[in-house]
This record gives sequence, structure tokens and C-alpha cells, in this order.
Amino acid sequence: MDVILQQTINAISLGGVYAMLALGLAIVFSIVGLINFAHGDIMTFGGYGIFLSLAFGMAPVPALVVGIAAAVVMALTLERTAFRAMRGADVVTLLITSFAVSEILKVVFQNAISARPVPISLPAGWSGTYQVAGTTIGVVPTVSLVVAFTSLLGLSLVLRRTAIGMAMRAAAEDLEMLKLLGVRANRVVAIAFALSGLLAGIAAVIWTAQRGSVDPMMGFFPVLKAFIATVLGGLGSLGGAVLGGFVIGALEVLTQAFLPDSLSPYRDAIVLALVIAALLWRPDGLLPARSATRS
Amino acid sequence: MTFRTLLLTTTSAMVLAGAAGAEDYVIGVMSAQSGYLAPYDGPAYAGFQFCIDKMNANGGLNGTHPVRTIVKDTRSDIAEGVKVVQEMIDDGAQFIVSSADADPTIAAAQITMADGIPTMTFAGTAPVLTQVGDHVFGSYPADNQQAAVLAAYAREQGFAKVYLVKSPDSAYTLGGPEYFGTAFEALGGTIVGTSNYSLNQPDFSAIVTTIKAAEPQPDVIVTWAWEPDFPAFIKALRGAGVATQVMGGDVLDTPTVRGLGDVVDGVMHTSGGFPDEGSAYAGFIAEFTAATGTTPDNNYYVNGCDIAHMIEQAVAAAGTTEPRAVAAAMAGIENGKGVMSDFTFKGTDRMPLREVVVARITGAGDKEFVLRATADPATLPRP
Repeated sequence: MDVILQQTINAISLGGVYAMLALGLAIVFSIVGLINFAHGDIMTFGGYGIFLSLAFGMAPVPALVVGIAAAVVMALTLERTAFRAMRGADVVTLLITSFAVSEILKVVFQNAISARPVPISLPAGWSGTYQVAGTTIGVVPTVSLVVAFTSLLGLSLVLRRTAIGMAMRAAAEDLEMLKLLGVRANRVVAIAFALSGLLAGIAAVIWTAQRGSVDPMMGFFPVLKAFIATVLGGLGSLGGAVLGGFVIGALEVLTQAFLPDSLSPYRDAIVLALVIAALLWRPDGLLPARSATRS
Repeated sequence: MTFRTLLLTTTSAMVLAGAAGAEDYVIGVMSAQSGYLAPYDGPAYAGFQFCIDKMNANGGLNGTHPVRTIVKDTRSDIAEGVKVVQEMIDDGAQFIVSSADADPTIAAAQITMADGIPTMTFAGTAPVLTQVGDHVFGSYPADNQQAAVLAAYAREQGFAKVYLVKSPDSAYTLGGPEYFGTAFEALGGTIVGTSNYSLNQPDFSAIVTTIKAAEPQPDVIVTWAWEPDFPAFIKALRGAGVATQVMGGDVLDTPTVRGLGDVVDGVMHTSGGFPDEGSAYAGFIAEFTAATGTTPDNNYYVNGCDIAHMIEQAVAAAGTTEPRAVAAAMAGIENGKGVMSDFTFKGTDRMPLREVVVARITGAGDKEFVLRATADPATLPRP
């Protein structure tokens, strides 16, 4: 029972990170049709922000704030310098642009900082544990879980209850109509990138707290999973991205925990096979966007 | 007349240049400048080139064969590695130094096999890599040597139950724990569980939960995981309140792992050498630092230098630079002199028998020397 409870916490904790990254991808995709593979590098940049802040003697909490801010700044910078000029281009062009930006950032990280991982040493107490009904639960997974849910709830409130949130949702429906109505589209798109950077920054905080190091490839693999989550949830669907993130996280943890040793090398293949099966069943994703884009 | 003079002069110059070039010993170097191998290939190449430059300043290998290196980036991509090896052979390479892992070395060795060009890995330690052919060599103490020494130490410390964490994605991450398990069981220990992970796995919490639930509980956990997987694993392990002793391979001997703070306090790992005060290794560090401004903070630098010494001694023993003769001479070296440690290829499967160091990491980020030993070839776990 303890093991099942613990693995459930693990699954939700990992799913929360995937959900945040998937939501960051989905927000941008829903508005400008860009699948931003540089999103992982924005997360990595946030991680390096934390590393450099700690290296310069900053206290851990302000360092984490700097990391999040760094990710937001990087997202806005990329929007202004790389993606704004490509707005309106077809999906493939945008995809290739995002790959190019991603590669450039990786090379910059490797040459300007280090090709190898750099350590992030947070206070020992942050890696502690506590007991609930006889079960030992880690502080970091719990904080990850709380932060992920708070962030998703906060974003949901912004999108549903604020004028800019409504503008973003309207932009996701029809950006041209939004312009005709006199809303500053550039501002809406920039805020969408900023929110996506914020989510990447929060994911970077959780990731580095759990993994203890940053390397140029840090963001690549989680964003790959997050992309799968957005496809599974339904491209362009914000709710679908969150659901997809949690489903992928749960599948990864459960297959890691309960597959027999002989099958464990096939874990990723099994997870992806299940995703394909789900997409055959629901080609537009689990929670498709209203103007669904087929995966 | 002028034309004839010019022609004669040009022809003579070309002949002389060709003669001078023929004396050069051409070494092709695969060095990943980016990707997962860059952290290992970079330092190894720096140490290698440093010692080659020193030799060249004294006339080359053994003072008689100036070395010309051809260095090509592989981007940690095996297909790219194969391509650059072929290019280096086309450019006259007589010896190939390959990337610091078994898989690219095995791929490179398939290309060098036809001409019998000796191929030596920067720091690949999986013993399987030399099984491609007689022309393939390791340079660092192999995983089975490291595992045998570490297992003997673990048993001496009274550890009886081990949990192995391994990844089938690379020969190193799979082989190390398995060799440890074989040696540990041969010494009376028991394997109480194993878990598999994928390279760059995002999350280790599920594995840690499985370890916590293992019955009986292990008294030591062994993994050959490298960065960034090891930091993620140890953070998850300690974060879940598991204080069990953790041991690992030489890949933990990095400033990144030592910089993780309290979570790595007490972690033990193998290593290829330790710079004792007054040792040749300490002298190398001082010399390299003075010359380049960079202080070597891992063994790949000095091992790169030792590869230059291995090549020099093999060429001396062969009495020629003909590739097959150099390979045969390398395979016969016994008690060759190195900076990190001495090396013996004779009687091995071309993974050199070298001393293995066991070290302990402290919470302050230091590395403490524990012991130095050479594995017994008779009891080494077989690949």
C-alpha cells in the first residue's frame, strides 16, 4: 500500500512538470501555430540562471526567482528576435526555426558555460522527508506537486478571469479577428510567450531541485515528453496539454515501477505504443481543441 | 633557363617535403566537441595533445618520429565518428585515438580493422570494446577491474547485500554493475535487487521507491550511472530518506558530482589514479596548470597524456611505425611507464591492467583517498 501511495505521488509529481511544459508549448501553439522546440532550452536557461545566481553567492530562494525570471526574459527575447519575424509562416517553417534556435542555444550553453553538467547544491533540508500515516514522503516531490498545481490553477484563473487571458483565448480562436477588434496582437503574443517562459522557469526550478545539476541538454528530453503530451491531449488544447502531461508522467512512473526486469528496456517503447493506441482511438487527442488540429 | 631552375627547385622542395612528411607519425583523434562525450573527450584530448607537444619539442616519439595529429569533431554522434575515422585514414592516419566510450570506439574499430590500424579509446572502459579485433586497445582500467577492486573493498567493509542500478543503453552503465555483482557474489555477497533506467531518464523516484520497498534491504547500492543521471538518482534517493551506502564507477570522479553537497557525502567510487603529493601525477597537474592556465580536475587529462606514452612505447618496441607491428608491440607491453599509473597489456585482452583507486566523496566537495589495488587477472569477471 505504501509503495502504491508513494508511486502515485511520484507519478503526479512527474506529470505536474510535464503538464507545465506541455501547457507552455500549447499556449504558444494555440496562438501562433508554433511548436516551440526551443522551449526546453528556455527551461535550461532558467536552470543556468539558478546556477549562476548561486555561484555568485545569492541565497537559494532569490536564486530560484532569478532562474524563473531568466526563463521569462529568454522566452520574450526569442519571441522578439526569432519568432515574430516568422509569424504567419507555415507550420514546417516555424518548426525548423524553433529547431534552429534550439541548436544555437545549446551550442551557446556548451561554449559559454560548460559542455558538462554543472552542480546545483540546494540546502540539505530541501531534500528531506516527512512521515504521513507511516509513509515516508520526500519534500522535493511534495513541493513539486504543490507548485505544479498552484501554477496550473493560477494560469487557469489568468486565462479565464482577466482581460489579457480572454484576449489570449480569443487570439487562440482567431488572431486576425483580434486585430480587427483593435487588440494589440503583438502584446498578446508576447504575453503568451512570457507565460510559457514562466512555466518553463518553474519547471526548471523543480527539475534542478530534483536532479541537482544543469547541462545543455537538460530541457531537451522533458520537452520531448511534453510535446508528446500536447499531441496526446490534443494540439492547441490547453486542458488537453495538462491532461496529456499527467498521463505521460503516470505511464512513465508506473511502467518503471511495475514492469518486470526483462521488459524494462522496452519501457519507452511501451509508453509510446500506448500513446499511439490512444491516438488511434481519438485522433484529435484526449481533449481536442475546438478547432482541432489532427496529430 | 629560368623555367628549368624553377621546375628543379619546386621538384626538389616537393621531394624534401615528402621525405620530411614520411617521417611524421600521423595520429587521428576523434574528439567530440559537443554532446554527451564532450566532457570526457575534451579533457582527454587536452592532456594527449599537451604530452604530444612535449614529445615533438624533443624530436617526436622517442626523439625520432615527429607526430602530426589530425583532430576531428564527432559531435558525440557514432555515424559522424565513423565518417571522420575514414577521412583520417584517407589522410594517412597510422593510429586512431577514439572517443571516450565503448560504442563509438567499436564503430571506429570496424573501419580501422581492414588496415589493422591500432585504435585506442580515450577512456572507454567496457572490456567488450577490444573484442572487435586485435588492433583495438583500452587505455583506462576496465570496468571489470574497477568492479572487482570495488567489490573486494565492499566485502571487506562487511557489506553483504547489494542492489544494482543499471542501464542497458550503454555498455558502461550496464556492464559495471553486472561485473560488480559477479565479483561480489564470488566473494560471498548477495544481489537483493536490480533496477534498469534509461540514459537521460527524467525521473528516478520510481526506482528509489522500489529500492525502499526491497526485501531484504540492501546495505550497499551500486550504479555506474553518469551525469546527469547520477545526480538525479542520488538526489531522489537521499530526498526519499534512503541513507544506504552508494558506490559507483570512475565516472563519478568529477567536480560536478563532488559539487552536489550533502547528498553525495560518503559516496564511494573507483578511479584510475590519485595525485598523491610528490607523485608523477601531481607533477603533471602542476606542469599542465603552469603551461595552460587550466588545472586538471579529473583523470581524463592525465590518461590522455598516458595514451601518448603508450603509443611512444609501442612504436619503440615495434621498431617501426607500420600499423600492424605497432599494434602487436602494444599488445606485448609489460609494466609500461605511465604518469597516472603503469600499464600492462601482455596477457590481457588489450584492456590494460592498471591500478584502481577507491575514493570517497565528502560533503565539502573533496575527494579522499581510500585504497589503491590491482585486480587479480585470474578472478576478473569475464565480458
